[in-house]
Amino acid sequence: MSSSALACFAGATTARRILLRPRWPTILPGTPSVAAPCRSSSACATRSIIITSQQCDLLPRPRQRQCEQQAIFFTPNRSYHSHDHPPPPGPFTHAEQNLLSAAYVHVPSHGFSQEALALGARDTGLLDISPSILPDGVFSLIRWHLYTQRTLLAAKAKDAVDQTAAVTVGDKVEALAWLRLRGNEAVVGRWQEALAIMAQPSYVPASLKELASLADEILYLAGDVSVDPSWYTKRASLSAIYAAAELFQTTDQSPKFRETRAFLRRRLDEAAQAGGALRSVGEWVGFNASAAVNVLRSKGVRI
Amino acid sequence: MVPPRPGWTPLRLCRPRRLAPHTTTPAPARLISSTTSASQAADGFPTSSSSSPSSSGNPQPPNKPQPPKPKKPLTPEQQSFLSSALRVNQAGELAATLIYRAQTPVVVGREPHLRPLMQHMYDQEVGHFRTFNELIAKHRVRPTALYPLWSVLATGLGWTTGVLGREAAMACTEAVETEIGGHYNAQIRRLLEMVGEWEAEGYDVGDEFRELISTLRRIRDEELEHLDHAVEHDAKKAEPHWLLTGVIRAGCRGAIWVSERV
Repeated sequence: MSSSALACFAGATTARRILLRPRWPTILPGTPSVAAPCRSSSACATRSIIITSQQCDLLPRPRQRQCEQQAIFFTPNRSYHSHDHPPPPGPFTHAEQNLLSAAYVHVPSHGFSQEALALGARDTGLLDISPSILPDGVFSLIRWHLYTQRTLLAAKAKDAVDQTAAVTVGDKVEALAWLRLRGNEAVVGRWQEALAIMAQPSYVPASLKELASLADEILYLAGDVSVDPSWYTKRASLSAIYAAAELFQTTDQSPKFRETRAFLRRRLDEAAQAGGALRSVGEWVGFNASAAVNVLRSKGVRI
Repeated sequence: MVPPRPGWTPLRLCRPRRLAPHTTTPAPARLISSTTSASQAADGFPTSSSSSPSSSGNPQPPNKPQPPKPKKPLTPEQQSFLSSALRVNQAGELAATLIYRAQTPVVVGREPHLRPLMQHMYDQEVGHFRTFNELIAKHRVRPTALYPLWSVLATGLGWTTGVLGREAAMACTEAVETEIGGHYNAQIRRLLEMVGEWEAEGYDVGDEFRELISTLRRIRDEELEHLDHAVEHDAKKAEPHWLLTGVIRAGCRGAIWVSERV
Protein backbone atom coordinates (compact mmCIF):
# COMPACT_ATOMS: atom_id res chain seq x y z
CA MET A 1 0.00 0.00 0.00
CA SER A 2 1.33 3.41 -0.31
CA SER A 3 3.24 3.10 2.59
CA SER A 4 5.06 3.75 -0.65
CA ALA A 5 5.49 7.32 0.42
CA LEU A 6 6.45 6.24 3.89
CA ALA A 7 8.75 3.57 2.58
CA CYS A 8 10.75 6.33 0.97
CA PHE A 9 11.31 8.03 4.31
CA ALA A 10 11.12 5.51 7.09
CA GLY A 11 12.54 2.49 5.39
CA ALA A 12 14.84 4.42 3.11
CA THR A 13 17.70 1.99 3.33
CA THR A 14 15.59 -1.09 2.94
CA ALA A 15 13.67 0.40 0.09
CA ARG A 16 16.85 1.42 -1.68
CA ARG A 17 18.33 -2.02 -1.27
CA ILE A 18 15.24 -3.55 -2.80
CA LEU A 19 15.10 -1.04 -5.61
CA LEU A 20 18.72 -1.69 -6.52
CA ARG A 21 18.22 -5.40 -6.71
CA PRO A 22 17.41 -6.62 -10.22
CA ARG A 23 13.67 -7.05 -10.34
CA TRP A 24 13.60 -10.11 -12.56
CA PRO A 25 16.75 -11.95 -11.51
CA THR A 26 16.14 -15.34 -13.05
CA ILE A 27 13.57 -16.45 -15.48
CA LEU A 28 12.50 -20.02 -14.84
CA PRO A 29 14.42 -22.62 -16.82
CA GLY A 30 12.58 -23.29 -20.02
CA THR A 31 10.43 -20.23 -19.64
CA PRO A 32 10.59 -17.98 -22.64
CA SER A 33 11.29 -14.55 -21.30
CA VAL A 34 8.07 -13.04 -20.17
CA ALA A 35 7.18 -9.67 -21.52
CA ALA A 36 8.02 -6.81 -19.23
CA PRO A 37 5.22 -4.44 -18.29
CA CYS A 38 4.39 -2.25 -21.24
CA ARG A 39 5.45 1.33 -21.02
CA SER A 40 3.75 3.07 -23.92
CA SER A 41 0.77 5.04 -22.82
CA SER A 42 -1.50 3.82 -25.58
CA ALA A 43 -0.94 0.16 -24.85
CA CYS A 44 -0.96 0.70 -21.12
CA ALA A 45 -4.36 2.26 -20.87
CA THR A 46 -5.62 1.45 -17.42
CA ARG A 47 -8.42 -0.99 -16.90
CA SER A 48 -10.98 1.60 -16.00
CA ILE A 49 -10.49 3.33 -19.32
CA ILE A 50 -10.76 0.11 -21.23
CA ILE A 51 -14.06 -0.69 -19.61
CA THR A 52 -15.56 2.71 -19.91
CA SER A 53 -14.30 3.49 -23.39
CA GLN A 54 -16.76 0.95 -24.71
CA GLN A 55 -19.51 2.93 -23.07
CA CYS A 56 -17.97 6.18 -24.24
CA ASP A 57 -18.25 4.98 -27.82
CA LEU A 58 -22.01 5.03 -27.51
CA LEU A 59 -21.98 8.75 -26.79
CA PRO A 60 -22.03 11.49 -29.43
CA ARG A 61 -18.57 12.49 -30.62
CA PRO A 62 -17.92 15.63 -28.53
CA ARG A 63 -18.97 13.87 -25.32
CA GLN A 64 -16.61 10.95 -25.94
CA ARG A 65 -13.48 12.90 -25.11
CA GLN A 66 -15.02 14.27 -21.98
CA CYS A 67 -16.19 10.84 -20.91
CA GLU A 68 -12.76 9.34 -21.44
CA GLN A 69 -11.14 12.10 -19.48
CA GLN A 70 -13.54 11.56 -16.62
CA ALA A 71 -12.84 7.85 -16.69
CA ILE A 72 -9.20 8.45 -15.79
CA PHE A 73 -10.17 10.08 -12.52
CA PHE A 74 -13.03 7.71 -11.92
CA THR A 75 -12.81 5.86 -8.64
CA PRO A 76 -15.55 3.26 -8.44
CA ASN A 77 -16.14 3.11 -4.72
CA ARG A 78 -16.03 6.85 -4.07
CA SER A 79 -18.85 7.83 -6.33
CA TYR A 80 -22.52 7.11 -5.81
CA HIS A 81 -22.94 3.72 -4.20
CA SER A 82 -26.34 2.26 -4.99
CA HIS A 83 -28.00 -0.14 -2.56
CA ASP A 84 -30.58 -1.17 -5.14
CA HIS A 85 -28.67 -1.65 -8.33
CA PRO A 86 -26.02 -4.31 -8.99
CA PRO A 87 -22.47 -2.99 -8.62
CA PRO A 88 -20.49 -2.08 -11.74
CA PRO A 89 -17.84 -4.59 -12.85
CA GLY A 90 -14.57 -4.66 -10.89
CA PRO A 91 -11.25 -3.45 -12.24
CA PHE A 92 -10.12 -6.87 -13.52
CA THR A 93 -11.43 -8.79 -16.52
CA HIS A 94 -12.33 -12.45 -16.20
CA ALA A 95 -9.11 -13.63 -17.85
CA GLU A 96 -7.04 -11.41 -15.59
CA GLN A 97 -8.86 -12.70 -12.53
CA ASN A 98 -8.04 -16.31 -13.41
CA LEU A 99 -4.42 -15.56 -14.12
CA LEU A 100 -3.86 -13.36 -11.09
CA SER A 101 -5.57 -15.64 -8.60
CA ALA A 102 -3.42 -18.54 -9.82
CA ALA A 103 -0.27 -16.42 -9.71
CA TYR A 104 -1.12 -15.14 -6.22
CA VAL A 105 -0.68 -18.66 -4.83
CA HIS A 106 2.99 -18.49 -5.83
CA VAL A 107 3.67 -15.14 -4.21
CA PRO A 108 4.86 -16.49 -0.82
CA SER A 109 7.55 -18.58 -2.55
CA HIS A 110 8.38 -16.40 -5.57
CA GLY A 111 7.44 -12.93 -4.47
CA PHE A 112 5.56 -10.35 -6.48
CA SER A 113 7.51 -11.18 -9.59
CA GLN A 114 7.29 -12.27 -13.21
CA GLU A 115 8.07 -15.80 -12.05
CA ALA A 116 4.93 -15.94 -9.95
CA LEU A 117 2.96 -14.64 -12.91
CA ALA A 118 4.50 -17.18 -15.28
CA LEU A 119 3.81 -20.04 -12.84
CA GLY A 120 0.26 -18.82 -12.44
CA ALA A 121 -0.18 -18.82 -16.21
CA ARG A 122 1.06 -22.41 -16.39
CA ASP A 123 -1.28 -23.49 -13.59
CA THR A 124 -4.27 -22.12 -15.47
CA GLY A 125 -3.12 -23.86 -18.64
CA LEU A 126 -2.18 -20.66 -20.43
CA LEU A 127 0.93 -19.89 -22.40
CA ASP A 128 3.86 -18.47 -20.46
CA ILE A 129 3.62 -15.30 -22.49
CA SER A 130 0.07 -14.64 -21.29
CA PRO A 131 0.96 -12.41 -18.29
CA SER A 132 1.73 -9.75 -20.90
CA ILE A 133 -2.00 -9.08 -21.14
CA LEU A 134 -1.69 -7.38 -17.76
CA PRO A 135 -1.43 -3.65 -18.32
CA ASP A 136 0.92 -3.09 -15.39
CA GLY A 137 2.76 -6.39 -15.19
CA VAL A 138 3.87 -7.20 -11.66
CA PHE A 139 2.04 -4.21 -10.26
CA SER A 140 -1.20 -5.83 -11.38
CA LEU A 141 -0.41 -8.71 -9.06
CA ILE A 142 0.10 -6.27 -6.20
CA ARG A 143 -3.14 -4.53 -7.04
CA TRP A 144 -4.86 -7.89 -7.11
CA HIS A 145 -3.72 -8.46 -3.52
CA LEU A 146 -4.88 -4.99 -2.46
CA TYR A 147 -8.18 -5.25 -4.30
CA THR A 148 -9.13 -8.74 -3.13
CA GLN A 149 -8.14 -8.04 0.47
CA ARG A 150 -10.14 -4.84 0.46
CA THR A 151 -13.26 -6.40 -1.01
CA LEU A 152 -12.98 -9.33 1.41
CA LEU A 153 -13.34 -6.90 4.30
CA ALA A 154 -17.03 -6.33 3.70
CA ALA A 155 -17.82 -10.04 4.05
CA LYS A 156 -15.69 -10.55 7.15
CA ALA A 157 -16.42 -7.22 8.82
CA LYS A 158 -19.38 -8.32 10.91
CA ASP A 159 -17.60 -11.29 12.47
CA ALA A 160 -14.48 -9.29 13.20
CA VAL A 161 -16.44 -6.54 14.89
CA ASP A 162 -18.52 -9.02 16.90
CA GLN A 163 -15.40 -10.85 18.08
CA THR A 164 -13.85 -7.75 19.54
CA ALA A 165 -17.18 -6.54 20.94
CA ALA A 166 -16.44 -3.12 19.48
CA VAL A 167 -19.19 -0.60 20.04
CA THR A 168 -17.86 2.81 19.07
CA VAL A 169 -16.81 3.73 15.56
CA GLY A 170 -13.22 4.10 16.76
CA ASP A 171 -13.13 0.54 18.10
CA LYS A 172 -14.68 -0.80 14.91
CA VAL A 173 -12.11 1.06 12.83
CA GLU A 174 -9.36 -0.55 14.85
CA ALA A 175 -10.90 -4.01 14.50
CA LEU A 176 -11.29 -3.60 10.75
CA ALA A 177 -7.80 -2.15 10.22
CA TRP A 178 -6.42 -5.10 12.15
CA LEU A 179 -8.51 -7.48 10.05
CA ARG A 180 -7.02 -5.95 6.92
CA LEU A 181 -3.48 -6.17 8.31
CA ARG A 182 -4.03 -9.85 9.05
CA GLY A 183 -4.88 -10.23 5.37
CA ASN A 184 -1.20 -9.48 4.66
CA GLU A 185 -0.01 -12.46 6.72
CA ALA A 186 0.40 -14.84 3.78
CA VAL A 187 2.62 -12.47 1.80
CA VAL A 188 4.21 -10.43 4.58
CA GLY A 189 7.70 -11.79 3.86
CA ARG A 190 7.42 -10.39 0.33
CA TRP A 191 5.58 -7.21 1.16
CA GLN A 192 8.65 -4.97 1.26
CA GLU A 193 9.29 -5.81 -2.39
CA ALA A 194 5.73 -4.86 -3.16
CA LEU A 195 6.10 -1.57 -1.28
CA ALA A 196 9.21 -0.82 -3.31
CA ILE A 197 7.35 -1.44 -6.58
CA MET A 198 4.43 0.68 -5.41
CA ALA A 199 6.84 3.51 -4.61
CA GLN A 200 7.92 3.71 -8.27
CA PRO A 201 6.68 7.02 -9.61
CA SER A 202 4.38 5.57 -12.27
CA TYR A 203 2.59 3.41 -9.71
CA VAL A 204 2.34 5.94 -6.89
CA PRO A 205 -1.02 7.46 -7.98
CA ALA A 206 -2.69 4.05 -8.31
CA SER A 207 -1.25 2.95 -4.97
CA LEU A 208 -2.43 6.08 -3.21
CA LYS A 209 -5.87 5.68 -4.72
CA GLU A 210 -5.99 2.11 -3.48
CA LEU A 211 -4.96 3.29 0.00
CA ALA A 212 -7.67 5.95 -0.03
CA SER A 213 -10.24 3.36 -1.12
CA LEU A 214 -9.21 1.12 1.73
CA ALA A 215 -9.55 3.91 4.30
CA ASP A 216 -12.94 4.77 2.85
CA GLU A 217 -14.04 1.14 2.99
CA ILE A 218 -12.91 0.71 6.61
CA LEU A 219 -14.68 3.86 7.75
CA TYR A 220 -17.84 2.97 5.84
CA LEU A 221 -17.93 -0.54 7.28
CA ALA A 222 -17.28 0.87 10.75
CA GLY A 223 -20.45 2.93 10.36
CA ASP A 224 -18.88 6.36 10.20
CA VAL A 225 -21.38 8.88 8.82
CA SER A 226 -19.38 12.12 8.92
CA VAL A 227 -20.34 14.45 6.09
CA ASP A 228 -18.29 17.54 6.94
CA PRO A 229 -14.55 18.27 6.65
CA SER A 230 -13.89 15.49 9.17
CA TRP A 231 -14.69 13.13 6.28
CA TYR A 232 -11.33 14.15 4.85
CA THR A 233 -9.34 14.29 8.07
CA LYS A 234 -10.58 10.87 9.19
CA ARG A 235 -9.63 9.27 5.90
CA ALA A 236 -6.27 10.99 5.75
CA SER A 237 -5.30 10.03 9.29
CA LEU A 238 -6.50 6.45 8.90
CA SER A 239 -4.54 6.14 5.64
CA ALA A 240 -1.37 7.41 7.28
CA ILE A 241 -1.82 5.14 10.30
CA TYR A 242 -2.59 2.11 8.19
CA ALA A 243 0.42 2.70 5.94
CA ALA A 244 2.69 3.10 8.96
CA ALA A 245 1.30 -0.03 10.61
CA GLU A 246 1.79 -2.00 7.41
CA LEU A 247 5.40 -0.90 7.21
CA PHE A 248 5.83 -1.87 10.86
CA GLN A 249 4.30 -5.26 10.11
CA THR A 250 6.93 -6.12 7.49
CA THR A 251 9.63 -6.18 10.17
CA ASP A 252 7.53 -7.53 13.02
CA GLN A 253 8.83 -10.86 14.37
CA SER A 254 6.45 -11.18 17.33
CA PRO A 255 4.01 -14.12 17.43
CA LYS A 256 0.75 -13.35 15.66
CA PHE A 257 2.04 -9.82 14.97
CA ARG A 258 1.24 -8.79 18.51
CA GLU A 259 3.58 -5.80 18.26
CA THR A 260 1.85 -4.56 15.11
CA ARG A 261 -1.47 -4.70 16.85
CA ALA A 262 -0.12 -2.65 19.76
CA PHE A 263 1.46 -0.20 17.32
CA LEU A 264 -1.85 0.21 15.49
CA ARG A 265 -3.72 0.79 18.72
CA ARG A 266 -1.23 3.40 19.94
CA ARG A 267 -1.39 5.35 16.67
CA LEU A 268 -5.20 5.31 16.59
CA ASP A 269 -5.36 6.47 20.22
CA GLU A 270 -2.99 9.32 19.44
CA ALA A 271 -5.09 10.36 16.46
CA ALA A 272 -8.24 10.28 18.58
CA GLN A 273 -6.57 12.43 21.24
CA ALA A 274 -5.34 14.96 18.70
CA GLY A 275 -8.80 15.10 17.12
CA GLY A 276 -10.40 15.60 20.52
CA ALA A 277 -8.02 18.45 21.40
CA LEU A 278 -8.68 20.15 18.07
CA ARG A 279 -12.43 19.83 18.56
CA SER A 280 -12.20 21.32 22.04
CA VAL A 281 -10.28 24.32 20.74
CA GLY A 282 -12.83 24.81 17.97
CA GLU A 283 -15.70 24.60 20.43
CA TRP A 284 -14.06 27.12 22.75
CA VAL A 285 -13.43 29.61 19.94
CA GLY A 286 -16.96 29.21 18.58
CA PHE A 287 -18.55 29.65 21.98
CA ASN A 288 -16.58 32.79 22.73
CA ALA A 289 -17.24 34.30 19.32
CA SER A 290 -20.99 33.82 19.60
CA ALA A 291 -20.94 35.06 23.20
CA ALA A 292 -19.13 38.23 22.07
CA VAL A 293 -21.67 38.85 19.31
CA ASN A 294 -24.54 38.33 21.73
CA VAL A 295 -23.03 40.75 24.26
CA LEU A 296 -22.72 43.41 21.55
CA ARG A 297 -26.32 42.77 20.45
CA SER A 298 -27.55 43.12 24.03
CA LYS A 299 -25.81 46.53 24.14
CA GLY A 300 -27.92 47.62 21.19
CA VAL A 301 -25.31 47.29 18.43
CA ARG A 302 -27.12 46.34 15.23
CA ILE A 303 -25.07 43.35 14.14
CA MET B 1 -46.58 42.87 -9.32
CA VAL B 2 -43.41 43.26 -11.34
CA PRO B 3 -43.50 41.24 -14.56
CA PRO B 4 -41.08 38.30 -14.59
CA ARG B 5 -37.73 38.99 -16.19
CA PRO B 6 -36.41 36.90 -19.07
CA GLY B 7 -34.00 34.83 -16.97
CA TRP B 8 -36.57 33.59 -14.45
CA THR B 9 -37.49 30.20 -15.76
CA PRO B 10 -38.53 28.51 -12.53
CA LEU B 11 -40.39 31.51 -11.22
CA ARG B 12 -42.29 32.01 -14.44
CA LEU B 13 -43.18 28.35 -14.71
CA CYS B 14 -44.13 27.71 -11.15
CA ARG B 15 -45.71 30.79 -9.78
CA PRO B 16 -48.96 31.17 -11.69
CA ARG B 17 -49.95 27.64 -10.73
CA ARG B 18 -49.06 28.01 -7.11
CA LEU B 19 -49.24 31.51 -5.87
CA ALA B 20 -52.91 32.22 -6.44
CA PRO B 21 -54.54 29.47 -4.36
CA HIS B 22 -51.92 29.40 -1.63
CA THR B 23 -51.24 32.94 -0.59
CA THR B 24 -53.76 32.85 2.22
CA THR B 25 -53.59 29.22 3.40
CA PRO B 26 -51.58 28.39 6.56
CA ALA B 27 -48.16 26.81 6.23
CA PRO B 28 -48.80 23.05 6.70
CA ALA B 29 -51.74 22.78 4.30
CA ARG B 30 -49.82 24.85 1.84
CA LEU B 31 -46.93 22.47 1.94
CA ILE B 32 -48.85 19.36 0.96
CA SER B 33 -50.92 20.97 -1.73
CA SER B 34 -47.99 22.84 -3.16
CA THR B 35 -46.12 19.56 -3.47
CA THR B 36 -48.81 18.03 -5.64
CA SER B 37 -49.47 21.04 -7.78
CA ALA B 38 -45.83 21.71 -8.49
CA SER B 39 -45.02 18.08 -9.23
CA GLN B 40 -47.62 18.26 -11.93
CA ALA B 41 -45.95 21.40 -13.10
CA ALA B 42 -42.60 19.63 -13.26
CA ASP B 43 -44.05 16.69 -15.15
CA GLY B 44 -45.45 19.11 -17.64
CA PHE B 45 -41.98 20.53 -18.21
CA PRO B 46 -40.74 20.01 -21.73
CA THR B 47 -38.04 17.38 -21.19
CA SER B 48 -35.24 17.54 -23.69
CA SER B 49 -34.94 13.77 -23.99
CA SER B 50 -36.58 11.56 -26.56
CA SER B 51 -37.93 9.40 -23.77
CA SER B 52 -40.14 12.12 -22.35
CA PRO B 53 -43.42 10.24 -22.88
CA SER B 54 -42.33 7.42 -20.61
CA SER B 55 -40.63 9.72 -18.11
CA SER B 56 -43.70 11.87 -17.64
CA GLY B 57 -45.78 8.85 -16.70
CA ASN B 58 -43.35 7.15 -14.37
CA PRO B 59 -43.46 8.96 -11.01
CA GLN B 60 -44.90 6.76 -8.30
CA PRO B 61 -47.54 4.11 -7.87
CA PRO B 62 -49.55 3.93 -11.14
CA ASN B 63 -47.23 1.64 -13.13
CA LYS B 64 -45.91 -0.63 -10.41
CA PRO B 65 -43.30 -2.85 -12.15
CA GLN B 66 -43.42 -6.61 -11.93
CA PRO B 67 -40.99 -8.03 -9.34
CA PRO B 68 -38.84 -10.31 -11.59
CA LYS B 69 -37.50 -7.41 -13.66
CA PRO B 70 -33.76 -6.89 -13.13
CA LYS B 71 -32.12 -3.59 -12.30
CA LYS B 72 -29.51 -2.12 -14.59
CA PRO B 73 -26.06 -1.40 -13.14
CA LEU B 74 -25.28 2.30 -13.05
CA THR B 75 -22.82 3.50 -15.65
CA PRO B 76 -19.79 5.48 -14.42
CA GLU B 77 -21.31 8.56 -16.00
CA GLN B 78 -24.57 8.12 -14.08
CA GLN B 79 -22.63 7.46 -10.89
CA SER B 80 -20.60 10.60 -11.26
CA PHE B 81 -23.73 12.61 -12.04
CA LEU B 82 -25.46 11.26 -8.95
CA SER B 83 -22.52 11.85 -6.67
CA SER B 84 -21.95 15.39 -7.88
CA ALA B 85 -25.69 16.08 -7.62
CA LEU B 86 -25.88 14.90 -4.02
CA ARG B 87 -22.66 16.71 -3.16
CA VAL B 88 -23.79 20.03 -4.59
CA ASN B 89 -27.22 19.68 -2.96
CA GLN B 90 -25.67 19.10 0.43
CA ALA B 91 -23.39 22.11 -0.03
CA GLY B 92 -26.37 24.21 -1.13
CA GLU B 93 -28.49 23.26 1.85
CA LEU B 94 -25.57 23.88 4.18
CA ALA B 95 -25.24 27.37 2.72
CA ALA B 96 -29.00 28.00 2.92
CA THR B 97 -29.10 26.93 6.57
CA LEU B 98 -26.23 29.24 7.42
CA ILE B 99 -27.68 32.17 5.45
CA TYR B 100 -30.95 31.96 7.39
CA ARG B 101 -29.15 31.42 10.65
CA ALA B 102 -27.07 34.57 10.13
CA GLN B 103 -30.01 36.62 8.85
CA THR B 104 -32.57 35.72 11.48
CA PRO B 105 -31.24 37.56 14.55
CA VAL B 106 -30.46 40.73 12.59
CA VAL B 107 -33.75 40.86 10.69
CA VAL B 108 -35.92 39.76 13.60
CA GLY B 109 -34.20 42.29 15.88
CA ARG B 110 -35.66 45.07 13.75
CA GLU B 111 -38.94 43.53 12.66
CA PRO B 112 -40.13 41.00 15.23
CA HIS B 113 -43.24 40.09 13.21
CA LEU B 114 -40.97 38.23 10.75
CA ARG B 115 -39.84 35.77 13.41
CA PRO B 116 -42.32 32.95 12.55
CA LEU B 117 -41.54 33.23 8.84
CA MET B 118 -37.76 33.16 9.33
CA GLN B 119 -38.10 30.30 11.80
CA HIS B 120 -40.28 28.36 9.36
CA MET B 121 -37.84 28.79 6.48
CA TYR B 122 -34.86 27.98 8.70
CA ASP B 123 -36.52 24.82 10.01
CA GLN B 124 -37.26 23.61 6.51
CA GLU B 125 -33.68 24.25 5.41
CA VAL B 126 -32.38 22.33 8.41
CA GLY B 127 -34.64 19.46 7.39
CA HIS B 128 -33.28 19.52 3.82
CA PHE B 129 -29.71 19.66 5.09
CA ARG B 130 -30.33 16.62 7.28
CA THR B 131 -31.91 14.74 4.37
CA PHE B 132 -28.89 15.30 2.15
CA ASN B 133 -26.47 14.48 4.95
CA GLU B 134 -28.17 11.13 5.31
CA LEU B 135 -28.21 10.53 1.56
CA ILE B 136 -24.52 11.40 1.24
CA ALA B 137 -23.55 9.04 4.05
CA LYS B 138 -25.80 6.27 2.73
CA HIS B 139 -24.52 6.44 -0.82
CA ARG B 140 -20.88 6.98 0.14
CA VAL B 141 -20.58 10.28 -1.66
CA ARG B 142 -17.65 12.54 -0.82
CA PRO B 143 -18.80 15.85 0.73
CA THR B 144 -17.48 18.98 -0.92
CA ALA B 145 -13.88 19.79 -0.07
CA LEU B 146 -14.70 23.50 0.16
CA TYR B 147 -17.10 22.97 3.07
CA PRO B 148 -15.33 25.53 5.34
CA LEU B 149 -15.22 28.09 2.53
CA TRP B 150 -18.94 27.76 1.79
CA SER B 151 -19.69 28.02 5.52
CA VAL B 152 -17.80 31.29 5.82
CA LEU B 153 -19.20 32.77 2.59
CA ALA B 154 -22.79 31.79 3.38
CA THR B 155 -22.63 33.21 6.89
CA GLY B 156 -21.10 36.38 5.50
CA LEU B 157 -23.78 36.70 2.82
CA GLY B 158 -26.61 36.12 5.29
CA TRP B 159 -25.24 38.56 7.80
CA THR B 160 -24.49 41.28 5.22
CA THR B 161 -27.93 41.15 3.62
CA GLY B 162 -29.51 41.00 7.07
CA VAL B 163 -27.69 44.17 8.09
CA LEU B 164 -28.70 45.87 4.84
CA GLY B 165 -32.33 45.46 5.86
CA ARG B 166 -35.39 43.30 5.44
CA GLU B 167 -35.73 44.03 1.71
CA ALA B 168 -32.13 43.07 1.01
CA ALA B 169 -32.48 39.89 3.08
CA MET B 170 -35.59 38.94 1.12
CA ALA B 171 -33.89 39.81 -2.18
CA CYS B 172 -31.07 37.48 -1.17
CA THR B 173 -33.59 34.69 -0.49
CA GLU B 174 -35.28 35.43 -3.80
CA ALA B 175 -32.01 35.24 -5.74
CA VAL B 176 -30.76 32.11 -4.00
CA GLU B 177 -34.04 30.22 -4.23
CA THR B 178 -34.48 31.11 -7.90
CA GLU B 179 -31.12 29.55 -8.71
CA ILE B 180 -31.73 26.58 -6.43
CA GLY B 181 -35.19 25.93 -7.89
CA GLY B 182 -33.82 25.87 -11.42
CA HIS B 183 -30.96 23.69 -10.31
CA TYR B 184 -33.25 21.12 -8.66
CA ASN B 185 -35.48 21.12 -11.72
CA ALA B 186 -32.50 20.31 -13.95
CA GLN B 187 -31.56 17.44 -11.64
CA ILE B 188 -35.09 16.07 -11.55
CA ARG B 189 -35.32 16.21 -15.34
CA ARG B 190 -32.04 14.36 -15.68
CA LEU B 191 -33.20 11.69 -13.18
CA LEU B 192 -36.52 11.29 -14.97
CA GLU B 193 -34.62 10.85 -18.23
CA MET B 194 -32.47 8.16 -16.62
CA VAL B 195 -35.43 6.35 -15.10
CA GLY B 196 -37.36 6.67 -18.35
CA GLU B 197 -34.52 5.04 -20.27
CA TRP B 198 -34.46 2.13 -17.84
CA GLU B 199 -38.19 1.63 -18.17
CA ALA B 200 -37.98 1.83 -21.96
CA GLU B 201 -35.29 -0.86 -21.92
CA GLY B 202 -37.41 -3.07 -19.67
CA TYR B 203 -35.40 -2.71 -16.47
CA ASP B 204 -36.85 -2.23 -13.04
CA VAL B 205 -36.69 1.12 -11.26
CA GLY B 206 -36.13 0.53 -7.58
CA ASP B 207 -37.47 2.42 -4.60
CA GLU B 208 -34.10 4.09 -4.22
CA PHE B 209 -34.67 6.24 -7.30
CA ARG B 210 -38.39 6.73 -6.80
CA GLU B 211 -37.69 8.06 -3.34
CA LEU B 212 -34.81 10.19 -4.53
CA ILE B 213 -36.98 11.84 -7.17
CA SER B 214 -39.88 12.43 -4.81
CA THR B 215 -37.49 13.84 -2.17
CA LEU B 216 -35.97 16.21 -4.69
CA ARG B 217 -39.44 17.32 -5.80
CA ARG B 218 -40.57 17.97 -2.27
CA ILE B 219 -37.46 19.97 -1.48
CA ARG B 220 -37.68 21.88 -4.76
CA ASP B 221 -41.26 22.88 -3.95
CA GLU B 222 -40.32 24.02 -0.48
CA GLU B 223 -37.48 26.11 -1.86
CA LEU B 224 -39.82 27.75 -4.35
CA GLU B 225 -42.25 28.38 -1.53
CA HIS B 226 -39.47 30.39 0.17
CA LEU B 227 -39.10 32.32 -3.06
CA ASP B 228 -42.79 33.22 -2.94
CA HIS B 229 -42.49 34.30 0.68
CA ALA B 230 -39.53 36.50 -0.19
CA VAL B 231 -41.39 38.19 -3.04
CA GLU B 232 -44.42 38.70 -0.81
CA HIS B 233 -42.20 40.43 1.73
CA ASP B 234 -40.92 43.19 -0.52
CA ALA B 235 -37.88 41.51 -2.03
CA LYS B 236 -38.41 43.66 -5.12
CA LYS B 237 -38.13 46.85 -3.10
CA ALA B 238 -34.49 46.26 -2.27
CA GLU B 239 -32.21 48.97 -3.58
CA PRO B 240 -30.62 48.30 -6.03
CA HIS B 241 -32.56 45.10 -6.65
CA TRP B 242 -30.99 44.18 -9.99
CA LEU B 243 -27.45 44.50 -8.63
CA LEU B 244 -28.11 42.56 -5.45
CA THR B 245 -29.93 39.67 -7.09
CA GLY B 246 -27.58 39.67 -10.05
CA VAL B 247 -24.48 39.37 -7.90
CA ILE B 248 -25.98 36.74 -5.60
CA ARG B 249 -27.30 34.65 -8.48
CA ALA B 250 -23.95 34.77 -10.26
CA GLY B 251 -22.31 33.72 -6.99
CA CYS B 252 -24.77 30.84 -6.61
CA ARG B 253 -24.12 29.61 -10.12
CA GLY B 254 -20.38 29.77 -9.53
CA ALA B 255 -20.68 27.91 -6.23
CA ILE B 256 -22.83 25.22 -7.85
CA TRP B 257 -20.34 24.83 -10.68
CA VAL B 258 -17.44 24.47 -8.25
CA SER B 259 -19.24 22.18 -5.80
CA GLU B 260 -20.18 19.78 -8.57
CA ARG B 261 -16.49 19.29 -9.19
CA VAL B 262 -14.61 19.75 -5.93
